[in-house]
Amino acid sequence: MPIPLPITFLIDLLTLFGLFAIISMSLNLEFGYAGIPNFGKMLAVAGGAFFVGAVPGRVIAYMLDVPTSLDFFRNNLEVVSLVNQALASNPIISTLYLLASLAGAALAGAALGYIASYPGIRLRGDYLAMTLLAMAEVLRVIGDNWEPLIGGSLGVRIPDPFRWVGGEYRSLSVALTILGVTAAMFVYLELVSKSPLGRTLKAVRDEELSARVYGKDVDRLRVKTLIVGCAIAAVSGALYSFLTASVSARDFNRVTHTFWPWVMVLVGGAGNNLGAVVGAGIFVTLRRLITFYKSYFEAIVPFDVVWLEYMLLGLALILVLLYRPEGLLPERPTRTLKRGDILRVISRMKRKEEN
Amino acid sequence: MLRQGRIGLSLLLLRDAVIFSSLLMMLSAGLTLTYMTTKVPNFAHGDFATLNVYAGLALVRLLNVSPYLGMIPAFLIGGVAALVLYLAVLKPLTDRGANYVILMIATIAYDMILLSLINISADYLNRVHKLITRLFQLRDFDVELLGQPGLFVVAPFLAFAMITSLYIFLNRTKFGVAMRAAIENPSLAEVVGININLAYATSWFISGGLAGVVGVLMPLYMTCNPDIGVRLLISIFAASILGGLSNIYGAFLGGAVIGFAEVLGTGYLSMALGPWVVPYRPVIPLIIMMLTLIFAPKGLAGVDWKRFVRRVG
Repeated sequence: MPIPLPITFLIDLLTLFGLFAIISMSLNLEFGYAGIPNFGKMLAVAGGAFFVGAVPGRVIAYMLDVPTSLDFFRNNLEVVSLVNQALASNPIISTLYLLASLAGAALAGAALGYIASYPGIRLRGDYLAMTLLAMAEVLRVIGDNWEPLIGGSLGVRIPDPFRWVGGEYRSLSVALTILGVTAAMFVYLELVSKSPLGRTLKAVRDEELSARVYGKDVDRLRVKTLIVGCAIAAVSGALYSFLTASVSARDFNRVTHTFWPWVMVLVGGAGNNLGAVVGAGIFVTLRRLITFYKSYFEAIVPFDVVWLEYMLLGLALILVLLYRPEGLLPERPTRTLKRGDILRVISRMKRKEEN
Repeated sequence: MLRQGRIGLSLLLLRDAVIFSSLLMMLSAGLTLTYMTTKVPNFAHGDFATLNVYAGLALVRLLNVSPYLGMIPAFLIGGVAALVLYLAVLKPLTDRGANYVILMIATIAYDMILLSLINISADYLNRVHKLITRLFQLRDFDVELLGQPGLFVVAPFLAFAMITSLYIFLNRTKFGVAMRAAIENPSLAEVVGININLAYATSWFISGGLAGVVGVLMPLYMTCNPDIGVRLLISIFAASILGGLSNIYGAFLGGAVIGFAEVLGTGYLSMALGPWVVPYRPVIPLIIMMLTLIFAPKGLAGVDWKRFVRRVG
């Protein structure tokens, strides 16, 4: 039974929403909670995708006894179609391959986060922002040129873990997987933000000196935050690769993977996971509508309309910073302990004093 | 014979290095100047140059103006682009109490606006005037001086002129001294009646103007594309950080070091290992930047050289 057109449109929209919501939530953890200006968001997203392009495909080809005479990059199409044939009839291996790849991508992202944070983490945030931007660009240059990684500028096709679903329902199952991961990330980040760690991060962000005075290891906390944030963003990059079943360095750039997430977080409201998600939702929906009406403009202006759109986005971000810096959903005050818990702590302290 | 070829190549590389470092010196000095006043690294700095790559292309190809004459409008265009960023975006944000992270984000937003403008002009020049606007260069439009490309003489001269005039401006003129006071201690400067806003706006105008001049000259030397701004930005940041981000003369030194390291490093490595290393050129400024941040976060200007010599020697 074919899926009706409005539903395909919705599936596409939700897929895109999920991918960007993961990135914007990770940026929200770094910037909204910990105050780290990550201007190299693309680094982790591309890192996750490059990992998926470079490692799992080779591993599974080896495990499924694809003849070693076939090179993963030079005979890319043959290798991938052989692996896909095997995966098509084996949902369990397909799912394991998917999960292991996502986990690997998260680890790769975490490693990148650690390396990227190393030089600048002890300095003021602007040094970190500059190094992160530079590293993201350099990673893209490496991905575009170093063939053993993801096949250089041609990119690479990767085995499709959704092959067993088949045909019509592939996009639906990809969308559901992505939304599932998004939901899991949201729950995890909500738990983090309500935990003592989340409150410590906010303390570091708002009053670094006081946090240091109270014995918080600010640098370690920042490194940890970047590691977790980069791991999460890398999962989004990996999911994107599975969506397209290919990886190419040219799919990643600082407009889409660094600037857009910043717009989403700031429009939605920094320091608030729901804000990041709402921001991503609004952004993705608006862009779809713009794409829909673009053809009207395309005929009358002598340039690519996409640039007009980017310009408006830049303007919109400046206006948000000027007139509504807290975003649509402002950060709410941190929830303190329940009244009963506070009374219990007080009575325990009193007892101590009496002793 | 082979030896002679090598020497010839080395001389060519050296010439390239001189040109590139001269341009980079002007860019990093501008970035450092605005960092000193507004305390924010300007992520749109590369675009001030790229904007003028296309303004220059239009002047040279459509109006047949020499690129060297184009330096005057380029200085104005770059300066105005920077002035708009300061007056319309950064100043209002600072007045509302925004911290430096918000200011940085605002410069990224401005970077997107300029990047769009650059691409729109590239598309326009290409579709309406049939010019090649992607991956182009204008080496043929350079003049020849003493048997060398004019830029080889003009670029170092400009960099030298820029550093001397900045020195004279900041140390020998009343307004320049006031500007230094405004940088050192804004509140105290305001108390003695210095117009801080004017001083800061001037620094932004000079910074954008310098980048504009570099932009109009760049196609004479290298292949240009609308997205070279971010490539430049890596080198500019590396040079400015190496120079300490708080010292214009440091930025000149940083620009020279990064420029030579990039050109000579890529050149000699590609001779030794093969031409495949050429695309990895931005790795060099990145590594220098990381090493600086790890070992000398205040840059060359912040290193206690006497202690260093005593320890090493």
